[in-house]
Amino acid sequence: METMLTVEGLGKSFKDKQIISNISFEVKQGEIMALLGPNGAGKSTTIRNIMGIMYPDEGAITFRNSTNNEIPRNKIGYLPEERGLYKNVKVMDILLYLAELKDYPLNRAKERALEYLKKFGLEGKDNVSVEELSKGMGQKVQFIASILHEPELLILDEPFSGLDPVSQELFKDEIRSLARNGTAILLSSHQMNLVEEMADRLFLIHRGTKVISGSLSEVKKEYANFKCTIHGSNSHEVLESLPEVERVEHSDEAAVLFLSKRVQPANWLRNLPEQLDVQELSIDRISLHEIFIDIATDKNLLKEAGEVHA
Amino acid sequence: MRCMHNTKKVAKWEIKRNMKSKSFIIGLFLTPIIFLAFLLLPELFSSDDEPATTTVYINDQLGVYEQLEAAAANTEWNMEPTNSTQQEAEVALEENTDAAYIFIGEQSVESGTVPVYTSEETSDAFMDEVQLLGGPLQMVQIEQLGLTTQEAGMVAQGIVFEDVSNEPEQSGLFSETMLERVVPGAFAAVVMLSIVFTGMAIFQSASQEKKDKIAEIILSSLTPAELMQGKIIGYFVLGLIQVVVYVLIALPVLIWRIDVPIIEYLFVPELLVLLLIAILGYLLYAAIFVGIGATMADISTAGNFQGMVMMLPFSPFLFIGPVFSDPSGIWAQIGSYIPFTAPGVLIMRLSLLEEWPWVEIVIATAILAISVWVFMKLAGKIFKIGILMYGKNATPGEIWKWVRT
Repeated sequence: METMLTVEGLGKSFKDKQIISNISFEVKQGEIMALLGPNGAGKSTTIRNIMGIMYPDEGAITFRNSTNNEIPRNKIGYLPEERGLYKNVKVMDILLYLAELKDYPLNRAKERALEYLKKFGLEGKDNVSVEELSKGMGQKVQFIASILHEPELLILDEPFSGLDPVSQELFKDEIRSLARNGTAILLSSHQMNLVEEMADRLFLIHRGTKVISGSLSEVKKEYANFKCTIHGSNSHEVLESLPEVERVEHSDEAAVLFLSKRVQPANWLRNLPEQLDVQELSIDRISLHEIFIDIATDKNLLKEAGEVHA
Repeated sequence: MRCMHNTKKVAKWEIKRNMKSKSFIIGLFLTPIIFLAFLLLPELFSSDDEPATTTVYINDQLGVYEQLEAAAANTEWNMEPTNSTQQEAEVALEENTDAAYIFIGEQSVESGTVPVYTSEETSDAFMDEVQLLGGPLQMVQIEQLGLTTQEAGMVAQGIVFEDVSNEPEQSGLFSETMLERVVPGAFAAVVMLSIVFTGMAIFQSASQEKKDKIAEIILSSLTPAELMQGKIIGYFVLGLIQVVVYVLIALPVLIWRIDVPIIEYLFVPELLVLLLIAILGYLLYAAIFVGIGATMADISTAGNFQGMVMMLPFSPFLFIGPVFSDPSGIWAQIGSYIPFTAPGVLIMRLSLLEEWPWVEIVIATAILAISVWVFMKLAGKIFKIGILMYGKNATPGEIWKWVRT
């Protein structure tokens, strides 16, 4: 798999405030790379630096097939976070204009536009003025505009925001199929559950710096420790004294025990003391969603995991 | 080369988008029609007045009716002799619509005043017109003094103050030679006004980019400079389309209504200089509009600063008075050297002046051209940052900061 985009040591500050620093990752052909983080983490800033809409203070951005550091704009599809369309123009006109800006052959663009409009349930809307579209329809047209010219690299900033679940699935399917056909995809999101299902690799940033990165399975193995949820009346001390328990969170009847990384679930369960009050018990891995929340709310779960790991 | 390529695409899009918009098309045809309406309506109204001729009844005790009739040959009056008394006249005037009674007797010649009775309908201008009749009566006065006919003629001639400083035929704005210069100037003014007015749509277009949040999508395909240039060129072409429509609609009417060889006067070498000034003016204002447009999402939220800048293209109007009263005066010169007022002031001056001040023209045009270059640079800087600042208007402080970087 060829690397389409390399970001190395990217840093940017506004006034004296460092927005992002030392961001490094790459996006390969045919893979979905997810840039994750809470609002204000620096995802959009990173993407805008890649797109040449902002200029980084430090670091380097390299595209495949690009000579003398120029952004190969015609090979890139971009869906910004803040997006819209001209209001008083026809859907087909704006799609063709955006394709023309990419130097994409117009008859081919028209063909593909009709195809995609049909695929996204917008058949017959090509001659409709943009202002008559609903917000969701507008989002779809924007998405079509970003992929119409068959980009080699597709950059989607929060592609799922403001979409209903049906449209989300539609977008997900399309993004996956584009990746299967060899498009390199960089997408940012704060919706971990959506990304978890589709990303090959992820890069999680918080306050402008990297927190976690790697392939999805690596990240899960490394950070998504087991947790055990027990319903029953047990004292905090008892639970905390159990082996391999790093942290206990009590809520009403239930307690969540965060287990250490090296725990072997079967073994650990067998060794639970008999006097423990167990009405219900479940054991599973911490989800990316929980990791995400944890980071965003500055709890120390990950830090502990990290320390243990170190 | 590649830059021009993208600029052209943006320009083409802006032209196409406007040509497809109803409001633009309506405006395109409406402005020349309104212009013509303003030009021709007064004429239509004045011709309405024609049938309302004043009937002038003359009670002539001196036997000068024929001379009076001759003196009033150029008026629209309907003159009739009458024997009515003053009381009868007053009664008659109560009913009669547009009439006047004039009583001429020995007493008029002695006292030098003639009583005139008019009805309510009689136009105010009548009392000025009626002074014409003074001539024949003066002759009677002079005759009674016992002068010879030659002496009488000299006295009756009176004394006239005559302006001999210029060629005699050159009086008023619309004399023949004057028109020779006014026609190209007026055409250049129409060109500039059309493209400036169309150019104001640039402002709309730039702020629309922000309002519709499409700027970032567009800028993923081209650079801000290309987008800005594309808009400026696109609206320039739209302005020219407006000029063409103007010419097609207004010129035939003007040729028909005004008895002047307009075409002959229009295509003179001077026109090129005037058009150059008009185009430089457009570019200057376009740079201002596109830059300011990029700093705000909506004209209704424009701050004082933006509002003031928007008014700059109208600053030449401040100079209309001084320039028309003295086209070579100090105010006219100052106006020529201030880049914002230069296009309008120069076009006004060159339309009025017979002898063109070439040195001034060259200096003023150079200042204008340099300003265009500087303002394009500044607009580029403002546009680049402003266009991506969604949801809020830039403050003058922020704009200043962008300009300095």
